[in-house]
Amino acid sequence: MIGQTQKPLEEILGYLQGKEKVVLVGCGGCATVFHTGGEPEVKEMADTLSKHGKNILATVAPPFGEFTCYAPWSKERLSKYRQEIKECDAILMLSCGDGLQVVRELIIEEEFGLQKPIYPATNPIGHMGGGPSLFKEKCQQCGECELGRLAGICPFTQCPKGFLNGPCGGVTKDGKCEVDPERDCAWVMIYERLKAFGEFDRLREMREPKDWSKMQRPRKIEVAPLSLE
Amino acid sequence: MTSLQQVLAKGEFAVTAEVAPPKGTDTAEMMENAEFLRGKVHAVNVTDQQSSVMRLGSLASCRLLKESGFEPVFQLTTRDRNRIALQSDLLSASVLGIENVLCLTGDHITLGDHPQAKPVFDLDSVSLLMAAKGLTGGTDMAGELLEGTPAFHLGAVVTPGYEPMELQLLKMERKIKAGAQFFQTQAVYDPELFRRFMGGAKELGVPVLLGLVLLKSAGMARYMNKHVAGVSVPDSIIDEMKKTDDKVATSIKLAARIIRQTRGDVSRGPSDGNGLGTVCAGYSHGSRHIDLTTEGKNNTGMPGNCDAGLQMN
Repeated sequence: MIGQTQKPLEEILGYLQGKEKVVLVGCGGCATVFHTGGEPEVKEMADTLSKHGKNILATVAPPFGEFTCYAPWSKERLSKYRQEIKECDAILMLSCGDGLQVVRELIIEEEFGLQKPIYPATNPIGHMGGGPSLFKEKCQQCGECELGRLAGICPFTQCPKGFLNGPCGGVTKDGKCEVDPERDCAWVMIYERLKAFGEFDRLREMREPKDWSKMQRPRKIEVAPLSLE
Repeated sequence: MTSLQQVLAKGEFAVTAEVAPPKGTDTAEMMENAEFLRGKVHAVNVTDQQSSVMRLGSLASCRLLKESGFEPVFQLTTRDRNRIALQSDLLSASVLGIENVLCLTGDHITLGDHPQAKPVFDLDSVSLLMAAKGLTGGTDMAGELLEGTPAFHLGAVVTPGYEPMELQLLKMERKIKAGAQFFQTQAVYDPELFRRFMGGAKELGVPVLLGLVLLKSAGMARYMNKHVAGVSVPDSIIDEMKKTDDKVATSIKLAARIIRQTRGDVSRGPSDGNGLGTVCAGYSHGSRHIDLTTEGKNNTGMPGNCDAGLQMN
């Protein structure tokens, strides 16, 4: 999921300065889980912006499970609000940056043929898993998963220095990281797990430097469309 | 072959001392500090924006020191430069006549004075060593042939006080495979701990320069115990620093004692291919200058060629 937090209201009001008629769009995916763009947050934002003099033309809050970043769903959902979107001065997205850009490019521009100012209400902070309350970043989608050789722990993500060849000298006596004393050293964990599995010799393997070209942005992929029938 | 490399190859006791480039362009203090070391060390170790604090570059400082007749050890971290910049800096070092290179990852950016910077860490210390060794073989990391091949004496760092030690030794082994020809250690205050470390490190057969950082006070020792990973100052040493009336003299005495206590552990000479008796003396700026030459002769029994000029508060 895409972890996210809500932007300060002042920043949002700043974007909307001079824009009177606003459409709010939330997300039934990650933004619902992180309480930044689910139904309650969209409603609350509508109330807040109304109090600040905005005319909320529509509040679009997809139900849980309906990801705004999945264009076929957003297209279907937002088609019901085509008129309001046409009339509005601005769209406020209570979603991650993927949701915002999918809606801007594929729906507002390509599908509706409109040009509308569109603003974010959240700060995405990473791809993360966990829950129901604590979420942690574990994977940075490097394009070449190394977990099979690293005892199921990703040092590119877990280690602030992204070490591929063992720990740095900055491990505290209790196996924590010098950058964040709350965090366990990824390499101490990898070492302990490999040792427990009798795979200690894996740690002797020399590793070529990471091929970062697989993380060359922006990446894209084409797949067979999902059948939801 | 650099003269540090020659000393280490002969199995002799070597001494290097650290010189820190200034924050700014006024190099006068750095050069004055280096003068204290003239004739007393085999090389000066020039830090690369240590603690992630932006400073004058290590490479330019190395060149200035070389022009003044010192042999520099160019410290190079992977924190701020990607593999293109690192290889380029290595080639630059070579054409400037700088061949001792200490390959480090570097402290994390969050610990320094520009925590908003984007951390690079394209390579780590091991892959930097691989890259540097590759250059000496005439090819870059992309496998492209070089016009003119550099020669380097490659060093790396190791933390004897690291737990689990097995993991640190493993990393040391990797660094050797990658190209490390000598090691400098994190500051050592506990000879017993160093003895245990060398028990594993000796068989790797690469010279180890023991790291010394002179204590300024008991408070500094306590601070390091608490905040500096891999550093452990025994209580007895903290007590000595606390009780003394002359902190400088006591600090020098303690450093000399650590050298004396650990020399046997590292100094078996080249005949058995084991670690060599070498010291990397930590160097700190300050108002008072003390010459370890005398200390060395009187207290450590070090031969004349291993005097270290040390300056401290």
